[in-house]
Parts: sequence; structure tokens; C-alpha cells
Amino acid sequence: MLTFVIFSLRRAWQGFWRNIVMSLAATATMILMLLLLAGFFVLQSGLLRSLEFVEQKVEVVAYIQNNATQFQVDELIAQLRADPDVASVDFIDRAAALERFRQAQIAQGRQDLTQYLESNPLYASVEVKLTNAAKVGDVTRSLEAAPEVRQVLNIQALVDRVLTVTNVLRTAGVVILAVVGVIALFIIVNTIRLAVFARSEEIEIMRLVGASDAFIRWPFVFEGALVGLLGALVTLGVLYAVAEPVSSFMVGFFEIVPLSFQTLARDTAVLVLAVGVGIGTFGSWLSVRTYLIR
Amino acid sequence: MTLAPPAAPNRSFVDRLTRRRRPERPDRAVVVLHDVTKRYPNGKDALSHVDLVVPEGDFVFLVGPSGAGKSTLIKLLIRDEVATRGDVLLDGHDLNRLPRRMVPKVRRKIGIVFQDFKLLPTKSVWENVAFALEVTGYPRRQIAPAVNRVLALVGLTAQARQIPGQLSGGEQQRTAIARALVHDPRLIIADEPTGNLDPLISWEIIQLLQRINDLGVTILMATHNAEVVTALRKRVVALEDGRIIRDEVGATYHRQD
Repeated sequence: MLTFVIFSLRRAWQGFWRNIVMSLAATATMILMLLLLAGFFVLQSGLLRSLEFVEQKVEVVAYIQNNATQFQVDELIAQLRADPDVASVDFIDRAAALERFRQAQIAQGRQDLTQYLESNPLYASVEVKLTNAAKVGDVTRSLEAAPEVRQVLNIQALVDRVLTVTNVLRTAGVVILAVVGVIALFIIVNTIRLAVFARSEEIEIMRLVGASDAFIRWPFVFEGALVGLLGALVTLGVLYAVAEPVSSFMVGFFEIVPLSFQTLARDTAVLVLAVGVGIGTFGSWLSVRTYLIR
Repeated sequence: MTLAPPAAPNRSFVDRLTRRRRPERPDRAVVVLHDVTKRYPNGKDALSHVDLVVPEGDFVFLVGPSGAGKSTLIKLLIRDEVATRGDVLLDGHDLNRLPRRMVPKVRRKIGIVFQDFKLLPTKSVWENVAFALEVTGYPRRQIAPAVNRVLALVGLTAQARQIPGQLSGGEQQRTAIARALVHDPRLIIADEPTGNLDPLISWEIIQLLQRINDLGVTILMATHNAEVVTALRKRVVALEDGRIIRDEVGATYHRQD
């Protein structure tokens, strides 16, 4: 058994170098397809994180009655924080609300009219950020039921529209990634088929001299795995080389969107290696099979 | 290691080559075809009701015009095809009922030589012959002695390191014969082995096959070469339209197509 594995590995190695043109053609195809796939994978990850980021911007604002006690407000905030759908709660008191309004007016270059006010007309409010934008209705309803809440801004329609858009984008991303994946798979498998076809005479001779199927198949399968591994390693090298400039170019993007570069790099490496070696092995196995079944 | 000159192999060399061969028994047949019919999916019968017995040690010419069924007969013997009706026995193995995983083992009892040599162009003569042993799981240590032995037998020891492209047609065919022989087969099937060679070289190949036959290996040779068939006065099996129309020893053959 061990001798057989050693034999197959040695033959795979020989086969790779003795048919260097076809081997390199297959490896080059593998590299290009893996780069394409990895590129789309990174885009898809970026898109997903961006959509999550957009959805996390959803905020429910509830205005508090002026006669509500500090105790009631604290109670309300504690209740909200206990809700798993709530990410964070901010309390804006009346003075802070007025200050914010002033700042917004100044920022827009308008005259500050609040100085003419005799009293503060604004209400205190709680601003609730959600972990899941789809829960905006539930949170709104529970706030409306609280007696100390004067009014809740109804943003259900707006949130629904945002969610529709993000879901469409999410599905489109998955579909595009799947289509690119299938295209890459077909092109790689076809190139390997060509490489195996170029050696059909060798396979025929092996059959004629009485080589068993295992002795014909496994060297080719190992050779396919070798092409896949080599292609994956080169692809990772290329990705590593471009990762630095691209990430510094997109540093602003990474700052806003909570996209972990380490996680993404690890996932991409795993994907490239798994797809490369996997398709190399599978493609060879499939291609040699054609010559074995008679 | 001492290598005998190919023209006159010494006794011990022949003993070694034939060491596993049983004493010749006239009742033992290497090839038995009984009432064999082969119908291809297009409905044409390539062979119909063929009976053929080839005893061990025989030298048989298989003649007939193109499309007579020679190739089909050879395909049945190497189990590239399976007979539609009838029995095909090779060295006692019923090829119609042979399990798929046993096919390679039975093929190792046959050495096959083709008109177009079927050598691997990137491998040397030595590697081409060793290839047949490597891919059949032969113990590595025994490969080199076996390859050197058959190369000596076919007279290619000096060309062992050359690649087929550097060889003449006759040398290429001798390489193919060495490869067919390296497994110590019971039967050599030669499909038009002289088809691509000029008459002088053809004679060399025929003489080599005859010498191998003298060592006890059964030979079945399909050919168009009327001159060779007539001169050798061996057993001739003539096929026409998928039937055996003649089967006699010392027959002559005139090319009809």
C-alpha cells in the first residue's frame, strides 16, 4: 500500500515535469480562475459587511413625556438594554437635544433662532440601535406601549425599503459568486481534461500492458492535486502581494465598515487552497475515468 | 551481469526467460474460441461463428482483407471487446465472465505489438520497456534485470538510452517487442507488426518473432504480408467477412485487396 502511494506520487511528479507545457497551462488556468474566484469572494464579503453596516444604522427614536421621572426613564432604558434585539441605547435629555439642534443649524449656516426662545420646546428622547433591523416593528410597539413615551418616530416603511434593497443585493452577491464559481470549475476541469487527453496514448499503453485501474488513476489524481496545490500557492502569493496596496487604498472603507482583514484573509486562503486542490483532484479523477470505463 | 549476444542466447539465459513456463503439453491451448459471434451496436457482425484453437507454442498467421474481422478478433483476445455469443478462453480464463478487476491480470499474460509501435516518445528505450513493469506493480528491484534481459534478447542493449525518435523503424518495433515480452507472456499478439517497415527490416522482425516462438512463447500475428506468410510455412488462419475460410499449416497467402 505504501509502496503504491510512493509509486503514484513519483509518477505524478514525473508526469508533471515531463509534460511541462500542459502542466503549466493547467496551472496557469487554475491561477487565473482562483484569482477570479478569490476576487469575487472578497467583494462578496465586503458587500455583506457593508449591508450589515447599513442595517445597523437603523435607529428607533422615542420622545419622552416632559413629566416622566428620572426613575421611569432609567427603568425604560434598563428594559430596552435587556432586549436581545437592542444593540445600544442612548438617552438625550432636553438640554442636549436643544444643543444638538443648535449645532445642526450652525453647521447648515443658518441663523441660531433658539436664542429668542423663552423655554426649551424640545423633548428628551431615547435612541435605540438594533442588532437586527427587521425587529424595528417589535421595538417600536413595545416603546409605544410605555406610558412615559410621548411618541415614537415611525420608520417602519423606510426600514422595509432598506431591507428589500439589502436583501436583493445579498442574493445577487451569492448568485454572482455561485456563477463565477461554476464557471471557474468548468474551465479548470476542462483544462485538466485536455492535459489528460494529451496523454491518452500513455493511458492506452498502460491498459494494454495490464496496468490495473488504480495504477492508472492515482498518479493522475495526485498530479491534479499537485497542479491545484501549485496554482493555489501562486494565487495566494499574488493575493498577498496585492493585499497591502489594496488595503491601504481602502483603509477608509475598512475604518467605517467593521470588516476584519485577518478573518477575510484567512477565509480567502482556505477557500483558494480548498478549491484549488479539490478541483485539481476531482477534475483528474473525472478525466481519467473516461479512459477506464470500457 | 553477463548478457548473452542476442543472435545466440546461451542456455542459462533461455532457462531464465522460460523459467516459469510449464512443460509443453499439446492438449493445453492458449487461445480457444468456440462459436464466437461479435455484433457491434450498428448491427454488423464483425465475426460470426468463429472456432479457433491455438495450442501452446504455436505460431499462427491471421490473414484476410481489411474488415475481415482480424482486429475484432484481437480486441476479443485482449478483452477490449466482449463476444456477443460464444466463448473466448485465454490461457483457461473465460473472458466473457472475467470480472473487470481481473482484466489487467489476464492482459499481463499477453504481449501486444502494433503496427504503429505505440512507444512513449519522451521515454528512452529502456524506460519504455521498464514502464510495462512499473505500471503493473512489479517489484522495483527486479525491473532492471528483467529489462536488461529482454533488451539483450531483441538486440537493443546498445540503444537502451536513446529515445524512440532517434531509432529506425525496425529498432522501434524491436523496442515494442521487448516491452511485450518483458512480462514473460504466454502469448504475443502482433497486429501488422511489419506494416510500417521495409521488406528487409520486416524480415528481421519476423526472425525475432520466430526466435521468441522457439523459446516457447505462442505467437499470433495478423498480417497482410503475403511474402512472409508464404515463406515461413506456418499455420495460416484466413478470415473473410467475419468467418474463418481457411485454417491450414504451411499454407500460402495471396493478398486480395
